[in-house]
Amino acid sequence: MDFLTLFPYIGILVLVVINTILVLNRKITVD
Amino acid sequence: MEYFSEHYVTILFTIIYVVGCLYIGWYFKKKASQGIEGYYVAKREIPGWVISLAFFSTSASTNTYIGQAGKSFEYGLSWAWMGFIWTFFCIISWQLLGPKMRFQTARLKSFTIPDYFHLRYKSNLAKSIRVLSAFIILFATLWYMVGIAKGCAHVLASVLDIPYEYGAFAIIAITCAYTIWGGMYSVLWTDAIQGIIMFFVAILMLAIPFMFVGGVENMMDIIGSTDHLTKTGEPMRSGLVTFGELVSFLYILGIGLAIGMKQISEPKNLIRFYSVNNAKSMRFAMIWTPVFLGISLVCVMGLGALVHGMASTDEAAYLIHNTDEVVGFMLDKFDNKLVSGICVAGLFAAGMSSLASVIIIVGTAFVKDIWHVAKPMPEGKIIPRTKWFMAIYCLFVYILTLYPMAGIVELTAFAGAVFAASFFPSIFGGLYLKWGTDLGAMASMIVGMVTNVVWRFVFRFNYEPLKDVHEIIPAFIIAMLTYILVSILSKSRKPDTEHLDLVFGN
Repeated sequence: MDFLTLFPYIGILVLVVINTILVLNRKITVD
Repeated sequence: MEYFSEHYVTILFTIIYVVGCLYIGWYFKKKASQGIEGYYVAKREIPGWVISLAFFSTSASTNTYIGQAGKSFEYGLSWAWMGFIWTFFCIISWQLLGPKMRFQTARLKSFTIPDYFHLRYKSNLAKSIRVLSAFIILFATLWYMVGIAKGCAHVLASVLDIPYEYGAFAIIAITCAYTIWGGMYSVLWTDAIQGIIMFFVAILMLAIPFMFVGGVENMMDIIGSTDHLTKTGEPMRSGLVTFGELVSFLYILGIGLAIGMKQISEPKNLIRFYSVNNAKSMRFAMIWTPVFLGISLVCVMGLGALVHGMASTDEAAYLIHNTDEVVGFMLDKFDNKLVSGICVAGLFAAGMSSLASVIIIVGTAFVKDIWHVAKPMPEGKIIPRTKWFMAIYCLFVYILTLYPMAGIVELTAFAGAVFAASFFPSIFGGLYLKWGTDLGAMASMIVGMVTNVVWRFVFRFNYEPLKDVHEIIPAFIIAMLTYILVSILSKSRKPDTEHLDLVFGN
């Protein structure tokens, strides 16, 4: 399997990790 | 009797699942009827884990678990790029729109997406935007609901031998009943339960082909080089595991954007932000929603390619032309009653969670954003009329499901492109740009729709190099630029400072 075929499977997990770090480090205001 | 001995596990799971959904609807009946804020947005008092699962289960439907999963039978493992694009926009939606939307809609006392346009841009023209966006919702939702009802009815027909017309009626009637009873409360809580089922069923479905062929290594050997034929009759060889061989990346990008960008623009998704109860819940949902969605999509988006490992050459030759039947074929071939029963419950959960979410959106759009705007009604009549309209709309969907027109999947993707181009600029501008105006919003909405239609029906299929460029790409860019340009040119129309202070919380 070539890298670009494999990429989205790994990429989704990487996205989720980056998102978690970003959310934990931002202030959230809902009211 | 033979029928029951063959299907008892699936029937049992289905009955437990349906009774559970109806019970939740009945449980919230009294609470939901106490006022518009309760019925429309669950009083903005729902915990983060419920909202998170509900956003995920609303986004993914039978179109995903059956349609998209089956597509990779034709396109190979590269189809998972769809899931990557989808997860990316889920993150964008929660990061960019979630907290801001919850903040502003509570301050403006907004209960629907169309009324947000009206309350935020605050003018007579903004009232027209509200009505126009409600009509777009009523029209675009029709095809989406027919597509899902059709998918669920086919599952019932193939797994339990229930005639198509009875299956479609049961699916629509059950979903309509619990939505009417409990309003947004029952939509969110049933969505959350359905989300849990869908998450585990996605993982289970991924395991089936591997169990069938005896492990990962065997699977990779089989699909790494296969003599199964493509749609045009060429042998696939290593196409299933090679990037860009069976489908162009531009095509995946277009469909991926059209479906992924629904999450930053479609009312059924954005309305979730309205109901979050506090900042802690918002943080939880921002982290976990992409996890639920991302992992589920990793599991289902490449599933079809793996089913090649279970199919003979003759079976593959049939399935390549009928990719919607790939998941059903997989369950039949695996032939395990318990696994089939659980997966069928998961497919119902995927379909019904998305159906319920849009049923309440069309009810609120028609009664509060069209009827109530045209002819104001006493507050006590809004909820009963919303219930009646939802029932009538569902009946209309059922009739269309009996006689479905061709190309419903394409119509649904097209509707997604219309939402993204015509709603997103006005929402993004409303949340972030104090200088955004009602004229900018109206112009971008119309330009977004027109560009979509013109690109698809005039340019796209008449010029060979453009055929893989989905209309979402030009329509989104042009609509966004229109919003910015027209807002700058009409800056005298922006709402007064006092109103903007209320909106932005200064």
